Amino acid sequence: MPHVSPSVEKALDTLSDVRKGKLDLSWMNSNPTGWGVRATPRDERGLGLEDINLVGQYGAVPDHGSIYGSMAPRGSEIPDDMPSLGCYDINDKSLVWAENVAHLYDEAVARQWSSARDIPWDELRPQRDDLEKAMCQVCTNLAEIEFVAGDMPAKWLHRINHDFHEVKLFLASQIFDEARHMEVFRKRALANGGGLLRSSPDSEELLRVILEAPNFTTASALMHILGEGFVLTLFRNGEMFALSAVEKKIFRLCMQDEARHVAYGTMHLKYFLEKHPEREPEIHDILQRGEEATFSLNQTQDTVEARAILAGGGLEHIDEGFAKLGYLFKKQIHEYLHRLKMAGIDRTSRLAIPLELPI
Amino acid sequence: MTWYPSKEFFEELRTRVNADPDLFRRLGTVDMTLVVKIDYDDSSDCFEIVFSGYRCTGVRHLASVADAAKGSIVVSGPYSGWREMIENIAANGHADLGHTLNTLTLLDTPLRIEADNQLDADLFYRYQQNLQEFFDGAGRSEPVAESATVH
Repeated sequence: MPHVSPSVEKALDTLSDVRKGKLDLSWMNSNPTGWGVRATPRDERGLGLEDINLVGQYGAVPDHGSIYGSMAPRGSEIPDDMPSLGCYDINDKSLVWAENVAHLYDEAVARQWSSARDIPWDELRPQRDDLEKAMCQVCTNLAEIEFVAGDMPAKWLHRINHDFHEVKLFLASQIFDEARHMEVFRKRALANGGGLLRSSPDSEELLRVILEAPNFTTASALMHILGEGFVLTLFRNGEMFALSAVEKKIFRLCMQDEARHVAYGTMHLKYFLEKHPEREPEIHDILQRGEEATFSLNQTQDTVEARAILAGGGLEHIDEGFAKLGYLFKKQIHEYLHRLKMAGIDRTSRLAIPLELPI
Repeated sequence: MTWYPSKEFFEELRTRVNADPDLFRRLGTVDMTLVVKIDYDDSSDCFEIVFSGYRCTGVRHLASVADAAKGSIVVSGPYSGWREMIENIAANGHADLGHTLNTLTLLDTPLRIEADNQLDADLFYRYQQNLQEFFDGAGRSEPVAESATVH
């Protein structure tokens, strides 16, 4: 036999012992207090994360994650010689948790859709030049910004302790949601005789603020509550001003996903501030920066003109479109402030951007 | 088609959406209570519609919106607005571009959304396609029940 490493030699010895009948089987008696459970589905929706969290000790989420720093599943028996993987440094539940996160994950899994199959692409029809260009510019903008909500969770995901697997699973579902958003807007831009139009330096600035946020909670506040809250209204905007059943469906399905993400972010911030009220100033600081960057992004000429053309129903009605956008901006701010209030933080008197647009 | 709001009407929509097991299963689970509040000149009619999992599980005719379950999302508007939406759906088989739930509520006219807090209000967006399919049930070919009460 060619030379093998000690670990391979050990594995071969173990295999040899097993083949000779020298069985160990001590694993069968491991974790005695965790044995004998039977999780059952609550109804026809099947067996969810919420259901398995009801059995035994498996749903108990510790305030501090396992010190072993491994991927051992919560509730399993962990041998003393378990090695640490050296990457899990977000070990405090309050830094990632939301009381609704298991429910949101179950909902995410049930509500996945396909941009290939579930959008009635065959119902696309040629549009007036100004309208098609406006729709393609909006889709260009959205394809640009959507995947920050994939990159941001991905940046923090591998650092989160595995005892908070509900959070990790939810963030993984969000990454896939945002992949779908990026692809569907790219597809729409390329599917009706138009194409992608102009990318936005102002968009990149907001994306930078999100990606460079110093910790997961500030990144989440920026992205889930501020960024995705605003984008949720943009999606509602898009559904209303859709040119056909195709865009109606795209924006309606995207708004569902986005609202789910906003719900996580709002409740995570709530949980965080309940545990760490002394860190409220940190949240105010990051939201100040985010508000400024979001406002700039939303009011860039390319973005606002394209949206106003769609809102008005054509270039000749752009003024009417601006008026509608003004109303929607007030609504965006109102909803943002109310989500923050739910999370336990009041920015009404500290907002870094106007409550209304001068249009 | 002239529409008169009634518990029977919403029960029929419930029957239609539950009769297609694949419809909500394809879209995903819903957990929310919607209250349809129809405003007349000097009164209102309220209907509570409960969704859980893959089904619409119940319809109630409420004496007032105060009787709605905690956490309900109220969509309110004048009778004319609701009638126009339902008649549009009945005529087209589904809401056309100008009559989807989102379109009619986004600018807070003719319909508007109200909830105890923003997280509850956001449920209206989280389950938007399911809600639209529910109301689009009025566009399916079977007759829809009419109320004995004419407004």
